[in-house]
Amino acid sequence: MMGLPLAFAAPLALLGLLSLPVIWLLIRVTPPRPKRLPFPPLKIILDSERKDETPARTPWWLLALRLAVAAIVCLAFAGPIWNPPAASSGGAGPLLIVLDDGWAAAPTWESRAAFAISAAESAGRRGAPVAVLAVSEGAREITPTDSARAIDVLRAKQPQPIEPPRAAALQAIEAFAARNKDPRVLWLADGLEQGGARAFAERLAALFGSSLEIATDAHRPRGLAGPRNEAQGLIVRVVRAGAAPDGIVRALDLKGLTLAEAPFAFGASDETEAKIDLPVELRNEVARLDIRGERSAGAVALLDDRWKRRRVGIVSGASADVAQPLLAPNYYVSRALAPYADLRRTRPGATDPIGALLADGVDMLVVSDMAIPPGETHDKLQKFIENGGALVRFAGTRLAGAHDDLTPVRLRRTGRVLGGALSWEKPKKLAAFDEKSPFYGLRIPDDVTISRQVLAEPEPGLAARTWAQLADQTPLVTAEKRGKGLLVLFHITADTTWSNLPISGLFPDMLRKLTTLAGSSAAIAPEEQDVAASGEPRKIETLAPQRMLDGFGGFIAPPATARAISADFQGPASLDHPPGFYGPADSAVAVNALEPEAKLAAVDLAGISARRLEIDNARAIDLRAPLMAAAFLLLVVDALASLWLSGGLPRFAARKASAAILAFAVMAPAMFEDAPRFVVVAQAQQNPQAKPSTKPPTKRDMDAALSTRLAYVVTGDARVDETSRAGLVSLTQTLAQRTALTPGEPVGVDPARDELAFYPLIYWPVVAAQPQPSALARQKIAAYMKQGGTVVFDTRDALTARAGATTPEGEWLRKLLEGVDVPELEPTPRDHVITKTFYLIDHFVGRTANGQTWIEALPPEPANGEARPARSGDSVSPIVIVSNDLAAGWAGDRYGEPLYPLTPGGQRQREMALRGGVNLLMYTLTGNYKADQVHVRDLLNRLGH
Amino acid sequence: MVDARLIETSDSAHAPACRQVALDLARRLPAALVAAKDLAASLMHGVHGRRRAGVGETFWQFRHFTSGEAAQTIDWRRSARGDGLFVREREWEAAHTLWLWMDLSPSMGFVSDLAREPKVDRALALGLAAADLLVRGGERVGLLGLSRALAARDIVDRLGEVLAVEASRDVERAELPPAVALGPRNRAILIGDFLIEPKLFAERLSTIAARGASGHMVMIADPVEETFPFAGHVELVDSDSPATLRLGRAESWRADYEQRLARHRADIFDVARAHGISVLVHRTDRPASEALIALRARLEEGGATGGRA
Repeated sequence: MMGLPLAFAAPLALLGLLSLPVIWLLIRVTPPRPKRLPFPPLKIILDSERKDETPARTPWWLLALRLAVAAIVCLAFAGPIWNPPAASSGGAGPLLIVLDDGWAAAPTWESRAAFAISAAESAGRRGAPVAVLAVSEGAREITPTDSARAIDVLRAKQPQPIEPPRAAALQAIEAFAARNKDPRVLWLADGLEQGGARAFAERLAALFGSSLEIATDAHRPRGLAGPRNEAQGLIVRVVRAGAAPDGIVRALDLKGLTLAEAPFAFGASDETEAKIDLPVELRNEVARLDIRGERSAGAVALLDDRWKRRRVGIVSGASADVAQPLLAPNYYVSRALAPYADLRRTRPGATDPIGALLADGVDMLVVSDMAIPPGETHDKLQKFIENGGALVRFAGTRLAGAHDDLTPVRLRRTGRVLGGALSWEKPKKLAAFDEKSPFYGLRIPDDVTISRQVLAEPEPGLAARTWAQLADQTPLVTAEKRGKGLLVLFHITADTTWSNLPISGLFPDMLRKLTTLAGSSAAIAPEEQDVAASGEPRKIETLAPQRMLDGFGGFIAPPATARAISADFQGPASLDHPPGFYGPADSAVAVNALEPEAKLAAVDLAGISARRLEIDNARAIDLRAPLMAAAFLLLVVDALASLWLSGGLPRFAARKASAAILAFAVMAPAMFEDAPRFVVVAQAQQNPQAKPSTKPPTKRDMDAALSTRLAYVVTGDARVDETSRAGLVSLTQTLAQRTALTPGEPVGVDPARDELAFYPLIYWPVVAAQPQPSALARQKIAAYMKQGGTVVFDTRDALTARAGATTPEGEWLRKLLEGVDVPELEPTPRDHVITKTFYLIDHFVGRTANGQTWIEALPPEPANGEARPARSGDSVSPIVIVSNDLAAGWAGDRYGEPLYPLTPGGQRQREMALRGGVNLLMYTLTGNYKADQVHVRDLLNRLGH
Repeated sequence: MVDARLIETSDSAHAPACRQVALDLARRLPAALVAAKDLAASLMHGVHGRRRAGVGETFWQFRHFTSGEAAQTIDWRRSARGDGLFVREREWEAAHTLWLWMDLSPSMGFVSDLAREPKVDRALALGLAAADLLVRGGERVGLLGLSRALAARDIVDRLGEVLAVEASRDVERAELPPAVALGPRNRAILIGDFLIEPKLFAERLSTIAARGASGHMVMIADPVEETFPFAGHVELVDSDSPATLRLGRAESWRADYEQRLARHRADIFDVARAHGISVLVHRTDRPASEALIALRARLEEGGATGGRA
């Protein structure tokens, strides 16, 4: 329609637009409802003559708004469709949608599926049944269904990580063509020739003729094939079909972290290489290569142990040559291999170096100049090679003089010396490598000369086993495949005595080639190695699928169709063996979607008599719903505007809007249940339940919190409790008389039951006969002391205590404090601040005067500091232990006379007892204040300056 | 365009907040003393010294005792200093009586966007504040037709309660002050919008002032009522009657309305002045204190002049 991708399902409804002028006239002459206002002075003008009674017209913008609503409704009824599907023509015959669902279709899968769905929709609008066949499904029976079912099937389709085998699908399509009348076929081709696309297209054209439609898109797939872990880096082939753009290859480890990226550029060809330059350690970590931005399994190359750096063991027949490393036969081998391989050496003086290295799980064993006589070591090596290990041997005098069958060729007994005194020949140079040799392509430096070597016995097949030879065709490096493994012999020594090859640049390249050839299957655990060594044949293992690739190149759990592969699985991935990792996680085998040598080619559809469609990203959009929604919104706006014009809006807004806002505020958390704020609220509501301790305070607690008061622990012994109470009452009176503190009535507390936090000091007379308090009480006491409270334990045993013996009370107290974190105690020092807080006293006396008072030990006095009149710690001592029965000393009757006879006695002692009590309480309340007070004079002096 | 609405006037009369506003307003001004030049010769005690002996508290003069007077009138302390008997006389102090009337008719509930508060709120605040000022000055204030004149210190609360009782009665509240003939030299303070027929107003005023009372009038007006800021299609509804007026183009009515309003006010003012009542116009978009200051000035200077506050 006029160049716009817009079509109408019911164009006749557009005639409704003709009614717009009528609507315009109607709306224009209908005035808006007048605004109704109270007006007290109305009487003043009620009687004035009516002047201009033509009411104000509908404002132009309201007019425009209403006309727009009418126009939109008309348009919506006409059923407009944006981007009408191209394939919506055709008859009522069944439509078969053939989907290429290989990896090549994955990058544009969404648009392909959308295209297929829109085709199914348009067929459904025509009433035609629709069938769906994904090529990977192969030969299954195709049954046309209604389009809604077909769309569901299409939505569920996912691309497969393989090349679609189209041949199998053809049978099903032929059956479909035979069964149905007037069938139509829409083939969504992925653009790759792989899987016989051209032949498939020709067959389809033959079957369906002009009712065949082939849809392709502009995307050209790219793929990764044949990654190689070479010396200069990780190299992977990048292939493409058609003019796909250049890009970037990423290297990821098993966890999916990007390790490196490397760009690639195709230039004119369809194939290029990307080189990922990484340190070898990191290169070993690479488990996956993919093309950035290309979401397909073909653009992923998985790497397993075969691409990893090899473990190489190095053994030498020479002994104790550590002192002169440059002369050691292993030196050059080690230097040459170190960058590429994980070197293992034996300790000097190991009893069985080869056995130890094999048990270490090496992939390649380099043995320089060592004879291997038949025996256990020989058998182990034999097994090692059979199982895929590589044995690289260097010749030498020891080898030359020994009989040894672990060589690829039979050796002549005597070595050959070139250019020596007894030779007429000059040192020989190397010949160019043969094409069949793995060393082919390596550049041979001119200055490499061989002066001495062991000679191979001429025998049939020698040439085939020769990997390198001298210019006169004498074999220099021979090799033989034994079992799964490899046996290589350098006919020279590993040091420079026989040739200068080990110090040439060629030597490391040759060794590296050998390293890459060494199979990974030799990485056998030591136990298995022993089993293998004992001669039992190893079973051929199958490897279960572990992590598979889906069509998009992402890792998934193995699908039900995935089957295990054999350990030596080769070849392309299939539906049975989808690409991915197989086997145990630590030694998984990778299967890739593309074979190492794979090439991609674009399908050539020239000459196929089919209608060609282009899959583009734009899918048909039914505009009815958006238009209706817009019309509805405009109607709401119109209603609000009318309300506003007639003056009802402010009042409506004032009352209803607040209600609406309130409703929204209430509902909003429910709408956004995941919102963190709501979670916080929920937690806040749950917290009270989580904390059962928030019970309402009791009256007793309220009283205790409102006035400072002394407390004593109710022991259960009525006499002691009465004494405590009377003593604390006396002390309370004394405090009220003499100090600024007026405590409330003392209370008895049960540490297990009552909240202790309100009391600055708790007096605890120890009664040995009473049972120990419960564990809960002990915990609460400990917590109370930690929070800064002070407990005064009174053992009341000053009279019975003897030096060196523990009284029952002392024992009881010791037991009580076992579960409590008690600080280090000391007898109250003379300069402790507790002796100076109110009165200057020497010690605490009660009913008796000879008991010791223990208190938290003070930090040691600074050695150089001058003596201070008072010392204190940073906090109040949580515990004071006295034995003088303080309460009985304090207790007095109404007239101030002591209730109990004191020992030794006298009015003075009671006075001192009360003074001690006052000091004690002042200490708990003021802490180290008095200790600081003594510096006041100094501080004032300083201020004066 | 402006918006306006009507509130229930009895709600305001009930509200203690209104009394509080009045108190706040009144306490910002010093006590008001009604001008003493035309004091009522009443026996009521007051603070207006009459420059002659009479009932009062302030010493006025000693005079010789004349026989026949009650012996208890003799000031023995003064008499002891001389030979004759003396009588202590005090200055005659008298109080004014003022009668408040506040319009509580439905039209007073009008409030527009441009105003600070409904007219009735303003009227109540002004009236109660004036009462407080006057009582603090020693005068006696009552509600016209509703209560007797009081000189209580909590006059605002006392009058407020009376008003609340009155407002809770379900009667139609008149737009005119009650027809009570005030005593000679009493004063009336009439607060309302006076959107009434000048003829009816004149009749009612003549009844009130029949025995020689004078007074003050505060006309409360909403700014919308003065400026008529309407435009477009508007339907106006009367507050006291079911009358409505639909205006096609309200803006074209403005000039006419202003003219008619001016005429109506001139008529009302003429009626008021003719009965010795001073006139004050107060708009609710102005602060209430402005009107109170103007009213206080009127009260203290006396006389019937026109003005605007």
